[in-house]
Amino acid sequence: MSKRKMFLRMITASLLRRRSRMLIALLSIAVGAAILSGLVTIYYDVPRQMSAQFRNYGANMLLLPAGESSMTRESAENALQSLPADALIGATPYRYMRMDMVSRQLSFTTAGTDFEQVMKTSPYFHIEGSLPENDREVLLGKAVADQLGMRVGRSMELTWQAGAQTTADHAGGAEGNPEQDRQPGATLTGSAEGWQNALIYVTVTLDDEAKIKTIAVDASLQTEEFGGRTATDETFLAQFIGKSLPLTLNEAGDESGIENNSTAGSESSSESASASGIDALSGATVSSGAVVRAINEARAVQAGSAPVESKRTFTVTGILDTGGEEEDYIFMSLKDLEDMTGEPGRLDVMELSVQAASTEDLQKIADDINAGATAVTARLVKRVTRSETTVLGKLQSLVYLVTVVVLLLTMISVSTTMMAVVTERRREIGLRKALGASDNSIRTEFLGEGLFLGLLGGLLGGLLGFVFAQVISVNVFGSPITLQPLLLPATIAVSMIIAAVSCLLPIRSAVAVDPALVLKGE
Amino acid sequence: MKLLEIKNVSKIYGDLKALDNVSLHVDKGEWVAIMGPSGSGKSTMMNIIGCMDKPTSGEVLLDGKDISKESGKALTEIRRDKIGLIFQQFHMVNYLTAVENIMVSQYYHSLPDEKEALDALERVGLRERAKHLPSQLSGGEQQRVCVARALINHPELILADEPTGNLDEANENIVLDLFRQLHREGTTLIVVTHDPEVAEAAQRTIVLEHGKVAREIINENFVE
Repeated sequence: MSKRKMFLRMITASLLRRRSRMLIALLSIAVGAAILSGLVTIYYDVPRQMSAQFRNYGANMLLLPAGESSMTRESAENALQSLPADALIGATPYRYMRMDMVSRQLSFTTAGTDFEQVMKTSPYFHIEGSLPENDREVLLGKAVADQLGMRVGRSMELTWQAGAQTTADHAGGAEGNPEQDRQPGATLTGSAEGWQNALIYVTVTLDDEAKIKTIAVDASLQTEEFGGRTATDETFLAQFIGKSLPLTLNEAGDESGIENNSTAGSESSSESASASGIDALSGATVSSGAVVRAINEARAVQAGSAPVESKRTFTVTGILDTGGEEEDYIFMSLKDLEDMTGEPGRLDVMELSVQAASTEDLQKIADDINAGATAVTARLVKRVTRSETTVLGKLQSLVYLVTVVVLLLTMISVSTTMMAVVTERRREIGLRKALGASDNSIRTEFLGEGLFLGLLGGLLGGLLGFVFAQVISVNVFGSPITLQPLLLPATIAVSMIIAAVSCLLPIRSAVAVDPALVLKGE
Repeated sequence: MKLLEIKNVSKIYGDLKALDNVSLHVDKGEWVAIMGPSGSGKSTMMNIIGCMDKPTSGEVLLDGKDISKESGKALTEIRRDKIGLIFQQFHMVNYLTAVENIMVSQYYHSLPDEKEALDALERVGLRERAKHLPSQLSGGEQQRVCVARALINHPELILADEPTGNLDEANENIVLDLFRQLHREGTTLIVVTHDPEVAEAAQRTIVLEHGKVAREIINENFVE
């Protein structure tokens, strides 16, 4: 038998002899190793997990125009090509315009966006109602809704104006007179005071016979339930089609008006009525009259001049509650915004939610985008990435701390056990010395036992630690961890070192044994 | 020729003189007993001869070389190479088998050699107990294994401390017979004992009393 084999035989036989005590030491090492390897696994995996969690806080990267005030959608989408596959969770375009709610003399920042993407980059959006799905629908920020007293389901009209055009320009001031403007194919706009002197605006187009072809009424300044219906009531509006100007209003008390117009009854009244008579909308006599007057006073839109403003009526489908600045905005589809303001395909910003293992990786992605694109710049949202970094930093500090404490406890446990064992084996140590064992031999033998325990404990603990990390990962983060292949060898190595260090004092004690004292017969 | 020479050796612990200016010698191949009651200094003498302790003063010459001032490390080496020890309480490694216990001695000396160890067991009549643990051996059997162990590295000197103290008469005789055998082969034996019968088995007895040599007795009835 070789010396090495004998050495191994001696240490294993010794460990087995004191099974129960060695088991305690072994378990201490295993527990320490398990916690160490479990925490380290989580430490390396947590950034990935937390990144996923942090995506709930919204966009972590922005694409902004480089240089100019806005960028094309195309250049933004091209920039996204350089992202790693599967890294992009969401990309939401935004274009901002100032729009007015004329009736209240208020203006708001309006964002045109893609509602299908919005929830991906802003999962924290809390919406009462629902996101707009169709055109002519808006999402109001809560502050806006509160200010206007708006609720889900209501309508509102938004006006976009280019330049310094004001509504005052409408009321007269043009040359000529309304009659002259009533030409075939003309577009006329006019306004008149309706309920409580609030204005009603009307735009009509004339056909080849200078009769009304189309009509659009803006009654947003009227009471919604009454005068406001003049803008939406189909039956009411249908009356105007095909009539020639000027129009007359049939009093609402004349109930033969709207209801009987369609019957073959009173022909004489229907003749004059159908030619230019308009029945007032019941409950909205004043507003109806205003519509008629507005048309009668309507003036032609100047040929060749582009519409200097556009109005659109929207239905409020949802109210947005975030506690942030989004509450001051009105959100509509990008299409609606572009239709109203012209210049399609331009964006002010694209918010991105990007999955990356760490802030460094995220920065690299941003750098790659910037290297490839000239029209757009990518920037990290520091508020989000910094919080992520801070939380991670704190977590990592915690991991260090717990690891150190655990290793200390392991060392104390192993050290105590080994000390007891050395005391028990004093006689044996004395014998070995009497047989010629040098101090180094004694050291080596005990160290050998310690390292062996470290090896076994590290192996056991490493495996347990993996299980432990999986359990935590699944319960806390809801997803399993990725295995680090170097971790098990590293855990074993650390356990062996810890075991060795724990043995230092016991070994010192063993070496100090005096064979003469211990072997004395009497 | 003198294998061991103790010249004016004293061992003092504070006020206590365990050994007081003791001188004695042992020739090569001699079987000497050192006898004395408890407190006579024989244990101290044993430790000094066995290189497990150093005298406070005096010289200890082993094979002509003074070992009284050697370092602990050097003493260990000398002990390992030249002296075989046998103890009253056997002192075996309780988790190793009989043959392995002998191999431990080989291990520290040079190389473990199972065949040699088995042969040693054969010599003491315990070959078939080679794989037994000490707990499975009787007192006498354990001590015989220890004799085998003491011999395995062919030491110049066998030093036995009350080798039969824990044995019954039958086993005592077996062990003493072994010693006779060893003596016939030329092994130098020093047996420290308080038992006169054990002392009488030797060629010469040195009697210690209160740390001094009281007298020496030549055993005229010694049987070769």
